[in-house]
Amino acid sequence: MTGMGRLIRGGERLALSHYRLEAAQWAEMLSAPGPTLPLVSCWVDERSASVLVLEGDRPLLASTPVEDRRYLAPSSRFPGAEWGERVGYDLYGVEAMEARGNGAPALDEGGWTSTWPLSGQPAPAAGGLRPLAGSHLLRPEQTGLSGPLEFSFEVHRGAIRTVEICAGGAHRGVVSRLLGKTPEEAMPLVSRMTAGGFVAHPLAFARAVAQARGLLPGPGIRDVWMILLEIERMSIHLLDMARTARGVDAQLLATHCDHAREAIARACSEQGVSRRLMDMVTCDGFCDGLEIVPLAQAVHATMQPRLAALEELQRVFAPRLKGFAVLDTRLAARFAVGGVTGRASGRGTDMRRREAGMRLEALRTTGSSQGDARARDGLRLSEIRDSLRLLERILGSIGLDDDEPAPDRTGEGIGVVEGARGDVWYWVRLKDGRIENLHVRDPGVSLIPVLESMLRGYPVSRVPAALGSIGLSPSGIAQ
Amino acid sequence: MKGLRRAAPLSVVYAFMDAVRWRPHAESATPRRDRPIGLYVLEAGGCEGCFMEIESLAGSAFALEQAGFVCVSDPEDADWLLLTGAVTRVCAEMVDRVWRAMPPGRSLIAVGACAVDGGPFPAGYATLGGLQALTPVRRSIPGCPPSPQDILDALQELARL
Ligand code: SF4
Repeated sequence: MTGMGRLIRGGERLALSHYRLEAAQWAEMLSAPGPTLPLVSCWVDERSASVLVLEGDRPLLASTPVEDRRYLAPSSRFPGAEWGERVGYDLYGVEAMEARGNGAPALDEGGWTSTWPLSGQPAPAAGGLRPLAGSHLLRPEQTGLSGPLEFSFEVHRGAIRTVEICAGGAHRGVVSRLLGKTPEEAMPLVSRMTAGGFVAHPLAFARAVAQARGLLPGPGIRDVWMILLEIERMSIHLLDMARTARGVDAQLLATHCDHAREAIARACSEQGVSRRLMDMVTCDGFCDGLEIVPLAQAVHATMQPRLAALEELQRVFAPRLKGFAVLDTRLAARFAVGGVTGRASGRGTDMRRREAGMRLEALRTTGSSQGDARARDGLRLSEIRDSLRLLERILGSIGLDDDEPAPDRTGEGIGVVEGARGDVWYWVRLKDGRIENLHVRDPGVSLIPVLESMLRGYPVSRVPAALGSIGLSPSGIAQ
Repeated sequence: MKGLRRAAPLSVVYAFMDAVRWRPHAESATPRRDRPIGLYVLEAGGCEGCFMEIESLAGSAFALEQAGFVCVSDPEDADWLLLTGAVTRVCAEMVDRVWRAMPPGRSLIAVGACAVDGGPFPAGYATLGGLQALTPVRRSIPGCPPSPQDILDALQELARL
């Protein structure tokens, strides 16, 4: 147990991995000697500020009360906490003391009906959109992403020096729409959090809800969930590979990716489920009528024969991606960047490896420390191969029992899923069967603080290609 | 004399032939025009699902161009604006800017439940909801998300009017 972990566990235990720290304990934790545990997420509301960290591969959640609308900023220790602090201010008007950064709004760009809309006393809106600093803009419709993120840059002699991100355009107030609902009522909306995770987001939510209810889904459900997730992984990896390929004019590779992704969608449709597997996951399992074995077989049969051509084309075009949009390994570690982008930059985190019932022998992809677009693209294809292998292994032993115990029912749960674009986390607290509080952490959030370093030195015109290669979901980041 | 240098492995040639073999064909023709209808696609605050289905439609697996359409990257070249997602209050300015940049004769098309009436994201502190309550649209394409074929069928139908 690390010093920081020990200090967190010294607080009052609220749930399986959740500890409440008084202000003094919180301050002590933030200045604990020894290594800093990797931060998964930070979030704030009117009552408390929370940090979710990883100890080994186990989550540890620490919260401290907000007093007089203020709290000691976790970004004083965890640099990645800054985004959550800014979101907390925008939504609740709660201030982080001794925070890093310039405190610019994360979501509230000035167009909302009120300021601090989720606080007990929202203030009238200032009106009008906030003007962006920076000498160059990349408008939301020019980023090549599928959602509205706006970028402003300081550019010197044609090369980017600083980057500011505005995510307000993609903010739909999803959390406020979910509060007070039962998990079952909330599920359709959770399933529409972001198209990069039609399976991953509802599954992380379902896992959090199951933990809060003290339930453990049986091995049959667990295997269905794994299969759905691997199908989604292949489809989203192909989408991100196609975008990456188009970014460097590798049209032939993009064409093959398009066809493979569409073939998966059609295989799903022919099996009677939605093309992108929307609404498949329910709180306690999966939707009625889902025939998982024929679905997995159909997708496998569709995808397997396409791999050889994809690999060959990727080899041909890989030099165009070499050295492009590099994420330094130290930054990836510092900001706990997950998913393909983290694994291409030396991080070993793949939350699938800690799952009960995982067929670990299928996961053969090893990471890379190159950190460039080539490494990310190579990993995506290699992970598609793993996904196919995983489908085979699961089909060979579907529903195989294991003896994991059910957790105690605490009304609170944390769920994690290794989605195609990285680790998706949900924290949920239920009261009288309804969602009293909730936090959603999309993997794109960990990319925000490292983007500047990845884009520095490039002309603004190269930004869409760089963004395409890291697989960002604006709707997931901003919700 | 230097021998011929092979530009790429033979399998890449096969890959090219595969891509040609798979080239999709438009099933029903759109009436011929002097030039294709320019489509500008804009996501204004949904889950991105509808946008991705249009991206698939515009990719290599569908015959969008054979059907008489072309996706453009500049609103000045666009005839139809395909809007996806509920309109967030922050994005309203972007939608307006893009719309104004389009030449006269332009049409607005709502693609997917969010763009039609807000779908799962009706009006709230950060969202205006769908286009239905905001402005007249030439065509609404329902679905959450509609498939690329649904979208193509609706576009072709509209082009025939
Ligand atoms: S209509 Fe459905 S799929 Fe389309 S953007 Fe809205 S929630 Fe997503």
